[in-house]
Amino acid sequence: MARRNALAMTGGNRERAGGVPRDSSGQSADIEFAGVTKRFGEVVAVDDVSLSVERGAFYTFLGPSGCGKTTSLRLIAGFEQPDQGDVRIGGASVVGIPPYKRPVNMVFQHYALFPHLTVADNIGYGLRQRAPRPTNSEITGQVGEMLELVRLSGFETRRVWELSGGQQQRVALARALINHPTVLLLDEPLAALDRKLRREMQIELQTLQREVGITFVLVTHDQEEALSMSDTICIMRDGRIVQTGGPKELYDEPVNGYVADFVGKSNFFAGKVVEATGTGAAVELEGGRVLSGRRPKNGETLAPGARGVIAVRPELVHVTPTAGPTASQTDVEAPGRVKNRIFLGEHTEYLVGTQELGDILALVPKHVEASDGGFTPGDEVRIGWRTSAALSLAER
Amino acid sequence: MTAAKVAGKNGNRVTAMLLLPTTLWFLLLLVMPLVVILVFSLGERAPAGGYQAALTLEQYANLPARLKAFTNTLTLSPLGTLICMVIAYPLAYYLAIKAGRRAKALLLTLVIVPFWTSFLIRTYAWIYILGGRGIPRLLEMIGIEDLRLINTPTAVLIGIVYGYLPLMVFPIYVSLEKLDKGLLEASSDLGANPVRTFLQVTLPLSAPGLITGSLLVFILLMGEYLIPAILGGGKVFFVGNALVDLFLQSRNWPFGSAVAVALVVIMLVAIALYLSLAGRERGRQDVSII
Amino acid sequence: MSYKNNGDTPISAKKFMEELRRYQKGSVSRRHFLGVTGLGLATAAMAKAMPELAGIGKAHAAANIGDRVSIATWPNYYDPANYEAFTTATGADVQISVFGSNEEMLAKLQAGGTGWDVFVPTNYTISTYVELDLIQPLDLSRLANFDEKHYIKRFIEPGTVNGKVYAVPKNWGTTGFVLNRKKVKTDPTTWKAFWDLTKTDASGRVIVHDYQLTTIGNALKYFGYSFNSVDPKELADAEKLLLEAKPHLFAITSDYQPAMRANDAWMSIAWTGDGLQLHRDIPEIDYVLGKEGGELWSDFYAIPKEAPHVDAAYAFIDYLIDPKINAREVAAHGYPVPDNRTTALLPKEMTEDPIMYPAQELLDALEFGAAVTLTDPLRAEVMARFKAA
Repeated sequence: MARRNALAMTGGNRERAGGVPRDSSGQSADIEFAGVTKRFGEVVAVDDVSLSVERGAFYTFLGPSGCGKTTSLRLIAGFEQPDQGDVRIGGASVVGIPPYKRPVNMVFQHYALFPHLTVADNIGYGLRQRAPRPTNSEITGQVGEMLELVRLSGFETRRVWELSGGQQQRVALARALINHPTVLLLDEPLAALDRKLRREMQIELQTLQREVGITFVLVTHDQEEALSMSDTICIMRDGRIVQTGGPKELYDEPVNGYVADFVGKSNFFAGKVVEATGTGAAVELEGGRVLSGRRPKNGETLAPGARGVIAVRPELVHVTPTAGPTASQTDVEAPGRVKNRIFLGEHTEYLVGTQELGDILALVPKHVEASDGGFTPGDEVRIGWRTSAALSLAER
Repeated sequence: MTAAKVAGKNGNRVTAMLLLPTTLWFLLLLVMPLVVILVFSLGERAPAGGYQAALTLEQYANLPARLKAFTNTLTLSPLGTLICMVIAYPLAYYLAIKAGRRAKALLLTLVIVPFWTSFLIRTYAWIYILGGRGIPRLLEMIGIEDLRLINTPTAVLIGIVYGYLPLMVFPIYVSLEKLDKGLLEASSDLGANPVRTFLQVTLPLSAPGLITGSLLVFILLMGEYLIPAILGGGKVFFVGNALVDLFLQSRNWPFGSAVAVALVVIMLVAIALYLSLAGRERGRQDVSII
Repeated sequence: MSYKNNGDTPISAKKFMEELRRYQKGSVSRRHFLGVTGLGLATAAMAKAMPELAGIGKAHAAANIGDRVSIATWPNYYDPANYEAFTTATGADVQISVFGSNEEMLAKLQAGGTGWDVFVPTNYTISTYVELDLIQPLDLSRLANFDEKHYIKRFIEPGTVNGKVYAVPKNWGTTGFVLNRKKVKTDPTTWKAFWDLTKTDASGRVIVHDYQLTTIGNALKYFGYSFNSVDPKELADAEKLLLEAKPHLFAITSDYQPAMRANDAWMSIAWTGDGLQLHRDIPEIDYVLGKEGGELWSDFYAIPKEAPHVDAAYAFIDYLIDPKINAREVAAHGYPVPDNRTTALLPKEMTEDPIMYPAQELLDALEFGAAVTLTDPLRAEVMARFKAA
């Protein structure tokens, strides 16, 4: 199942990120926002945001369109200037400094390659803007190295519009990286690629970052992309940060229902909070059933009487035959009927309709299926989970 | 015969029929007059004027008698085109890239509005602006006496720029409008200041518009007759004016035809030169005229 | 164009543009343009104030002459009120084209398809039109107002070719030059002085006609040659003078009144009526005849061979040579007529005007244009070269 793989992969990244040497001054933040606000007319695109991106990190802004993630990236690049607050790169304020004087480079969503230039001239563009201008042989040499880095040697004289999407993507990367930026900004860099290519490029980008060792700041609306590549993910909503953390933290310890919903899939059971403690809460559903769950680390506080949700990840939901023995590992159960079955290779996804809890999604590993033979739509089943697997969260 | 083949044959027939009017039009209105002019140019002037059949190159030998008209046309046309380009570009740039939606609509309307009145009445207006009761009178107030603008090459250039500017603005505007603004950000992001971005990205990518606009203006200017006649007072003479004279005053049709042939040839050579230069300038990239 | 439009109905935008284009093409005069576009409402008011005009055409109204008559004439050379009255009386719209040279008129007729019913050739061109079979002999019985005995003989003669009458006189006049006394401080009285001033004090302020006969003719006078010379050597001298003068010219145009009125030009080769019109409005503009001579001319009404509305043509000519109408024409444009009946109707200040009726010794030096100049290829080419230089 894709998500488990992704988690494993990001776990590896996090270890690596910790290994990036920090400079002797103790300054470890490459990018800082201090109370940054950016308005477009009436719309507040970025609302009093403060954040800090560690040097060498793979940092991702994640959120739906209009959440302020792209504006945040453009504030770093210099295409936008903040209305309030300070933007710092490498400890120095860059407010008022135009893009062409900033030590950052961007990979644009649609690559923005120069159609009138060859691949080599596109990549060498940044070098030619330097004063003093490097010699032609220096430029050719560095362009060659970059082409090698992105595995496009031999494409020097091609026209950019002759290249495939993936190749264009790599030219855009090379064009940005040749300038040795402090920070590489990536604006939805994989959005235009097909699914298979996107997976490949995700891996390629991670490898690349490991090789060049600079800070990457990515903007994406694709949670899978964010989870698979990032060290740190900043989830935004309506111009504000909802939660910042590593992929595992966001997945396992979402601060509220919005994060739980955005990062991975969840079954949500909404109702009235009947009991709340520091470690968990109980929610009474409309039908009268009370479910309880653990309070995640840093989870938003729930107050009795307020609305709340109980969230359960599908892979933590067990499906068992009604006739067979009760699964020993579950303490919340409900009978239901299989409505739909999707074969996913390593996993099978079931949609089970229940009387009390509505439709519930369950993800069953292949080896479990192998032992019980699996179910087909219409089968009577029992679903269940452990209370410790459920989270009690503030509604979105 | 298969059904597909039948359909193919019918398709060809339909295509041919659709093209027929165009072909006839082309033959009738373009090729025929050209043939007539070529034949005339080898003839002689009839005693009372007009055409008299002959086979002589005398008319072509006499072409140097209109050298001044050719040099006037060949200096003022490119110069007028260049000035149009220099003035039109910033305007088109502002319209396409800088102007807000309302300002853009307003300015585009202002550029188009003059077309609602006759080109001629607008040119006539310049007689008064450039004439003794216009700008020269204003200049008298600040002590510049007896300045003459009307009936000078300057007046003709002013008229040319005034009349042809919109023809230059629109193609440039369209090519700038199509320009992906992300490319400008990319250039800035890669360290190019605004001037360098303009020279390395904006200008080369708007070249098709520039080429279209300048060809449009240049070709029309090469045949220009009215502006020199109105604002040049018969003193600033284009080949067009020489042609009008030869056909309508001297009634020397054969010589007039020879001049017309020479004009067409010069124009074709000039355009070919310009396109090859423009093509070389833009490297291997295809020069698309439109 | 319809003079009916001159009345209360405002001109439509479409009509305005049509008129404008015709004006720009030179098909109609500036005055006509101002008239039809409503800028000359006075014209219409005048026509209304003189209802007797409407009665004059009764004889023509009796016969059906069609709905239009087309005339090719010269700038500033007719009274729009008269044409309007003709339309009112007969129902035939008068369509006007205006030309700057006889060559242009000839070129149009040679090309064919003009649609003209009446045109106004100058004395020396008529024999050529007959030779080229472009003009038709007149049936004098259809011109009740024409009576040879009232006309000055020398101005009527060119209308008769090979014993047949092809044209009846319209006006006569001279070709001299106008000068603005406030701007030109010397007192030129000769063509030599005209050309010398052009190259010196009046540099940049002089207009010559876009017309080979007068421009080359008066350049020939500089050297004392005949106005009508076609001698290659003499023409070479004239061409040299013209080319020397060219940088000093303000313009080459036969429509010189606007520039003179605007003070853009200070001197111009000019015809009688323009001299009179300018002097009448701007007293410091004088009309001068070169002492060496120059052109004396008479213009005629004639009917082209291909005229589509011959009845209307006869009716229109007969109407215009009616002494009462003719006198109004003269009052408007200031060109004398060779018809004693008409002259008798003119006010004294006109008949004594030295511009219209120059002193005899000045007139004696003038020559009629010669037919050969119209078609002479060398004169045509000298003019064309001068303009293209």
